[in-house]
Amino acid sequence: MSALTLLFLIAGLGLIGWLSARVRAVSFRRDSNARFSSLPSHQGTYVALWTVLPAALFIAAWSFTSPALVTNRVLTAPAAAQLPPKGFERAAILSEARNLASDRSFGAFHPLAETLEPEYEAAQSYFDWIGSAVALLLAFATGAWAYTRVRAGFRARSRIERVVMLLLLAASLIAILTTVGIVASLLFESVRFFRIVPIGDFLFGTHWSPQVISAKDPGASLGAVPLFWGTFFIGAVIAMIVAIPFGLMSAIYLTQYAAPRVRRWMKPILEMLAGVPTVVYGYFAALTVAPAVRDLGVALGVSWASSESALAAGLVMGVMIIPFVSSMADDSIAAVPASMRDGSLAMGATSSETIRKVLLPAALPGVVGGVLLAISRAIGETMIVVMAASGVATMTLNPFASTTTVTKQIVDLLTGEAEFDSPKTLAAFALGLTLFVITLLLNIVALSVVKRYREAYE
Amino acid sequence: MSETLVPQLPTGSAEPAERAPTDWRTHSMQRRIRKRYAAERRFRLFGLAAVVMSAGFLAFLLITMLSNGIGGFTQTQLQLKIDFPRAGLTLDPQRLRGPGADFALAASGIEGATDAAATAQFGKDGYKLLSDGAWLRVREAVKRDPTLLRGVATIAVPASDAIDIAAKAQGTPEGEATVARLKAQGLLSTAFNPAFLTGADSTDPTTAGIWGALKGSLMTMLVTLLLAFPIGVLSALYLEEYAPRNRWTDLIEVSINNLAAVPSIIFGLLGLAVFLNLFNLPRSAALVGGLTLALMTMPVIVIAGRNAIKSVPPSIRDAALGIGASPVQVVFHHVLPLALPGILTGTIIGMARALGETAPLLMIGMRAFMVSAPERLTDPSTVLPVQIFLWSDQVNRGFVEKTSAAIIVLLVFLLAMNGLAIYLRNKFETRW
Repeated sequence: MSALTLLFLIAGLGLIGWLSARVRAVSFRRDSNARFSSLPSHQGTYVALWTVLPAALFIAAWSFTSPALVTNRVLTAPAAAQLPPKGFERAAILSEARNLASDRSFGAFHPLAETLEPEYEAAQSYFDWIGSAVALLLAFATGAWAYTRVRAGFRARSRIERVVMLLLLAASLIAILTTVGIVASLLFESVRFFRIVPIGDFLFGTHWSPQVISAKDPGASLGAVPLFWGTFFIGAVIAMIVAIPFGLMSAIYLTQYAAPRVRRWMKPILEMLAGVPTVVYGYFAALTVAPAVRDLGVALGVSWASSESALAAGLVMGVMIIPFVSSMADDSIAAVPASMRDGSLAMGATSSETIRKVLLPAALPGVVGGVLLAISRAIGETMIVVMAASGVATMTLNPFASTTTVTKQIVDLLTGEAEFDSPKTLAAFALGLTLFVITLLLNIVALSVVKRYREAYE
Repeated sequence: MSETLVPQLPTGSAEPAERAPTDWRTHSMQRRIRKRYAAERRFRLFGLAAVVMSAGFLAFLLITMLSNGIGGFTQTQLQLKIDFPRAGLTLDPQRLRGPGADFALAASGIEGATDAAATAQFGKDGYKLLSDGAWLRVREAVKRDPTLLRGVATIAVPASDAIDIAAKAQGTPEGEATVARLKAQGLLSTAFNPAFLTGADSTDPTTAGIWGALKGSLMTMLVTLLLAFPIGVLSALYLEEYAPRNRWTDLIEVSINNLAAVPSIIFGLLGLAVFLNLFNLPRSAALVGGLTLALMTMPVIVIAGRNAIKSVPPSIRDAALGIGASPVQVVFHHVLPLALPGILTGTIIGMARALGETAPLLMIGMRAFMVSAPERLTDPSTVLPVQIFLWSDQVNRGFVEKTSAAIIVLLVFLLAMNGLAIYLRNKFETRW
């Protein structure tokens, strides 16, 4: 039975449960004069929930366990004896047979898969029938039990609401599950990586060339310091040199000087800078900015100006970050009490003196927090550096030279065709873990700075 | 006149002497005031310059994309003269009606006939002037009007990539020469290129289109919306309305706030490790892309939803509770409908972000070369931003304008979504 038919059948059972329980509850109402806490439809929903939920939970659990059961059954078949005992080839043949069983239009690469295919199909339909039968029986049994509980004065509403609450709680637990999933998957792969490459070599090594990893000493060519430096140089130095002055001055002008009309128009326009997809910025950087920067470098007499310079990526990234800095600065300037500003103006200070000597120092923690968040954003940014930065890891202070970043390397390492056990692929997860930890720390520090400062003026 | 009117502080005395009023007319004072005003004007000018230049960056970006990409929507066409009776098509005219027409025409050797006609008209290498997909245009023309088969017909077909570039921008010298010659003969024209909107990826820029990627994007967005919206709204309701203040709910709250700030590529790594390697879901499918983006979008919806729910006044909850509604009824009958416009605004903004996202989808392999649009959620597919990324890597110069044209389409979608969000916010903004 296909999954869809099964779901329809169970939903149908649920509907029948709902209708019959409702009819029964209405008859109770008519017969007695007691006061009820629940409407007839609540009683119906109670029965319907009991019909559908246990069966649905069973189907979900079954869909996770049945593939293993099917494989076990196939392995007991005589044809399976010819399978290679262990390893990659065995798994490949099995998965090919599984694909054949689900979709006959594929051709078989391995002859053994062809012979195993009927076994697979038989085992699959066998376990499908078992699963469907159990699910339907379960739906009927639990539904019938719930139906017997429906009587006058039964508080169905509070029971439904408990289910709703559980549902809400489950929804919010997904955030935790995601976080756990991120940390667990990154940690798991990174641990495998650090078993091959010593953690010290990775964190403090200064030579990065994943294309040639020597089997004897894999750590020698997987030192990530140049990547950290490139990420810091592009994201935290060059991009911030662009973003901080532009963002801060825009925020100051729009909050302190601009007419309300101008502000109403300019603020969304600046926010559009943050809404442009990063792949567009990347294309812009590679197509327009990078050649211009190289020409500038040549004109300035830089001996070796690369067309994949740190400057091109950093400049465009800085433009992308402007709205983050400006909206954080905007918020924290607006949070400074008006009395401080008025006091300064009343003493005869000009607006710019007030801003520079009173407002900015008072708003500084918020601004710093905003800048930290912007840096965290910049070092996690991927597409601009993938398209505009180079893949060669160098440690340089020359903005016209090429550098690479952590995110660029993650993309490069994972988009090639590589087996999943090589240090090259696993290195991407170690880089991801480092990136996750660094941005997490930056975010926590930034948010706590902003929060503490907010409380100080309230 | 003395320079300073401010008396010296008497040394040794506890009480400072009374200050004489400042004489603003003194030369030094006037100079100082001028200096301060100049600084004020300078500062203000810097601010204005920052705003104008930031907006200028945006304008420059948009204008560059527009001027590069506008050509991608049009196509240079050649007037091709085909002598059908001489071409020797093995074709039964009866089969031109009905579903088999495409196949019958393709089998009749119309592709060869098209190339032969070009060679006859333009010389030995004439077929090189045509796009690889030129015969498709001839096929469509014949299908529309089978009477063409009886005589010599002139059909506008797409020109080759080199001619296209030479006609629109700077091409190779020989290309420019050919274009000049053809133009003089009145054989070149420019027309809207429908293949760009209806076609899928191709190695030939004259036939490459965005429909495959656009459909992939829409399917991915559908999965994202179906997962992220209900989960996001339900958890926002739980956290804002019911959650007790304890360590567990703090943990949920902290992880949602952190998830909103995690770099998107990390979600790609999560999708790769969990959905592909652990659950064995198909690579580069819209389903996996949607799942990955849903995890990324959900925190945005939760945060927006909580703000919207928070702004519903408590009096409404109290009134509903007062007439006997249960806590769940209060929320689902009263609070949620009132908060919905705000939640929708946040959802649209989150979806717009997901639509423009590239990096996580690269991680789960959505960079496949797809010559047809995906049909099912598990089919290999690509999305618009990834298509832009793939085209940007092409060495063929014809892809430059295709890339920019695809960017224009993407930006139009994003602008429409953001515009809708702003419209909703303005329309439903309530002051209680």
